[in-house]
Amino acid sequence: MLRCLPRCAWLISIFLHVKMPAAAHLSRAQEKLDIILGQVTSLRARLNWLALQHGLYLVLAIGVTVAAVVFAGAMLLSPLQFLGVAGAMGLLGVSGLWITVRSALRRRSNAQRAAALADERAGLKGRLTTIVQTVSSRRRGALWAYLIEDALAHRDEFVPARVERRRIARSWWTPLAALAVAALLIPMARTRQNLKIASNSGTPDITVDLDDLHLRPAEPGDSTGLQVQADPATMARLREKLAREGVTTGRGDSGKFGGLLDRARNLAGDVQSKLRGDPRPRQRLTLRLADNEAGLDPSDRRGPDTRRNSHRGEQAGQFKRDNPGEDEPALPSIDDALREPDAQGNLGDNGENGQDSASKGKSLPDGDDSSQSAQTDEQRGEQSYNGGAVHGIGADPDSLFGEASKSKMSAEGFEIAIEARPVEQGAKGAGQAYLPPKVHTPLNAHQQPDEPIPRAAVPPDDRTTIQRVFER
Amino acid sequence: MSETQAALELPTVADFARTFRRIQSEIHKVIVGHEQAVEQLLSALFAGGHVLIEGVPGTGKTTLVKTLGHALNLSFNRIQFTVDLMPADITGTRVILSGEDGRREFTFQPGPVFCHILLGDEINRATPKTQSALLEAMAELQVTVSGTTYPLRPPYLVMATLNPIEMEGTYPLPEAQLDRFLFKVRLDYPEEDNLVRIISSTTGSDEAGIVPVFHGDEAQERVETLKKLVREVIAAPAMEHYAARIVRSTQPDHSRYVGDSVKSLHDEMVNRYVMFGSSPRGAQALILGGKVRALLDGRANVAREDIEAVAVSALAHRIMLNYAAHSDGIDAPQIVERVIRSVRATRS
Repeated sequence: MLRCLPRCAWLISIFLHVKMPAAAHLSRAQEKLDIILGQVTSLRARLNWLALQHGLYLVLAIGVTVAAVVFAGAMLLSPLQFLGVAGAMGLLGVSGLWITVRSALRRRSNAQRAAALADERAGLKGRLTTIVQTVSSRRRGALWAYLIEDALAHRDEFVPARVERRRIARSWWTPLAALAVAALLIPMARTRQNLKIASNSGTPDITVDLDDLHLRPAEPGDSTGLQVQADPATMARLREKLAREGVTTGRGDSGKFGGLLDRARNLAGDVQSKLRGDPRPRQRLTLRLADNEAGLDPSDRRGPDTRRNSHRGEQAGQFKRDNPGEDEPALPSIDDALREPDAQGNLGDNGENGQDSASKGKSLPDGDDSSQSAQTDEQRGEQSYNGGAVHGIGADPDSLFGEASKSKMSAEGFEIAIEARPVEQGAKGAGQAYLPPKVHTPLNAHQQPDEPIPRAAVPPDDRTTIQRVFER
Repeated sequence: MSETQAALELPTVADFARTFRRIQSEIHKVIVGHEQAVEQLLSALFAGGHVLIEGVPGTGKTTLVKTLGHALNLSFNRIQFTVDLMPADITGTRVILSGEDGRREFTFQPGPVFCHILLGDEINRATPKTQSALLEAMAELQVTVSGTTYPLRPPYLVMATLNPIEMEGTYPLPEAQLDRFLFKVRLDYPEEDNLVRIISSTTGSDEAGIVPVFHGDEAQERVETLKKLVREVIAAPAMEHYAARIVRSTQPDHSRYVGDSVKSLHDEMVNRYVMFGSSPRGAQALILGGKVRALLDGRANVAREDIEAVAVSALAHRIMLNYAAHSDGIDAPQIVERVIRSVRATRS
């Protein structure tokens, strides 16, 4: 054992003298490389931290801005407007978040990127990039050691604090700006909301007997309408009434869309109430004042509700033709009639007369129709002259056609040139002539069937005159 | 051979730069101005390439090459290319010689191509057949005559001159031969100050004494060692991609020889004026030239700046322009500069 000691010592010395320097040399080279790579790694960490900060700041800014705008919208806008604004802000917010996250991910650095940045900012001419890209390569080349030494000589130039001085991302101001916007916007919206409440509280509440009003759900998109807000019990009664009258779904062709819109409106209203901090969200219906008979069941037209306004009941009697449920052909509505001035002849006159007739109708008693019917007969003659297409439009028929215009038949008379030929000849070569269909139009309440006028006896005073005329 | 051993045998980066500067200074004892041209000439020498020198008459093309030969202490030959020059006049030929015993036999008589530095003066005056006689020597450092291949001794550098003015009776170099030149160097008329210096240095009785940098037989070995050092410079993959991207960007979209072209790379100017872009030899030239420049800068790695610095001289003569470019006055260096700008922009 003791004999072996010198031999072992010799072997150890050989190992130490020969092998150790090489190992030490390698470890020193590795240490140098580690120093360089460590600096690159810390630079990378700093860059990634800045990228993360950038993303967080922008996300915060977007969130605060969207929330502030939505809150202000809840204060200031109507439910539908609020819904649009909230939707738009939601879209903007989501897309902004997406862009921000992508931007932050793009700013994220790996070792190569950090090395390239350090090369660029420290003017190292690709030394670090080359080291980082070649370190994993097996064949590093004869000049690798020189490259490491060369890069290490410049180590002070690529310390992280020198390459990237910032510890806080440049976008730090964005959440502050967003908070400033919110701090301006929200109090302003609250102030306006309070002013609105104060002005509303100044006006007295209007209490109306709903039984006497004829309300219909507003058409979707109607900006003008009557908004009814009440406690749930009242709202339920109102809904029952509308359902009883069969007009709860009276939204024309846009039923589904209208329903959706109504739901959306209610949802937006609920959200607005919550955002405003209303203690108990009231149910709300948007209704419009409507023709009290149109669209209703005929059995309800002469009901007890309408008897209170008898003149309106008379008018409503003229709207039988508006009801598409009856067999009578539908006549044009007043809107349609107003849109067709050519068919009306005297449109302006009719409008005025319509108003006049309404006032007349109010002053007239219920059963006093005799003078009115006489006047109606006179105007019926005019109706044929004027082309009369405006009967049954909801106005008083006595003045439907305006004031009687002066007859164009003067004392001199008139001539009409008529070119006529037998039907058989005219039909040859020209196809079949158009024959209008015979339509039996039922009489309305003011019309009477044609009857031969009874021959009256000639007054004795006039006999001479009449005889003279016929002799001429 | 291990990396450590290789490093020990190679000269250091500082040695390379020092030797390079010494050669430069010796050349500039004779050549006034043309600093960039001299640097590119030496870069091509240490990168193992050949140089095409274009310049008007009297700008010192021949003098430059001769001075280089003297400074390096390497063998130097000169061929004046003419229309009636034959390939055998360049490569050499077999002639019948009588031996001492009276027997006659064919013996290969080497041509002027057998040297270290060959100057082909006005190479475009020779016929394409004669011009192509240089192809094998330039590319493979060997000459084949009558079925026998004769190797050339490295280092071997061909420097050909072109006269851009007198175009009558000239034969443009074939693209294959143009591609074999690592760099194309342009010599312009000297500026006034340099012209004054030329006058004073060449019209007096004093002759500039050039001291060879290498002595005796060590010249070949030293030059070859420095060439090996150039090859050891590290080009990171990013730099290789950068060079490849530049070369790809010189190729127009409409070229049927371009494979899956990256259209976003291509500049509108390239598509409009370039008929054929650079070959892969262009990318090699970029990296090799970049390596020499890196060593001159005291670095062991190639940087983008190095590649960009040699891009015009490495790529301009490899780009074939169309008639639209000639009519619009666009030349190849402009195209290369535009390409570098666009590639740099896409990188950032």
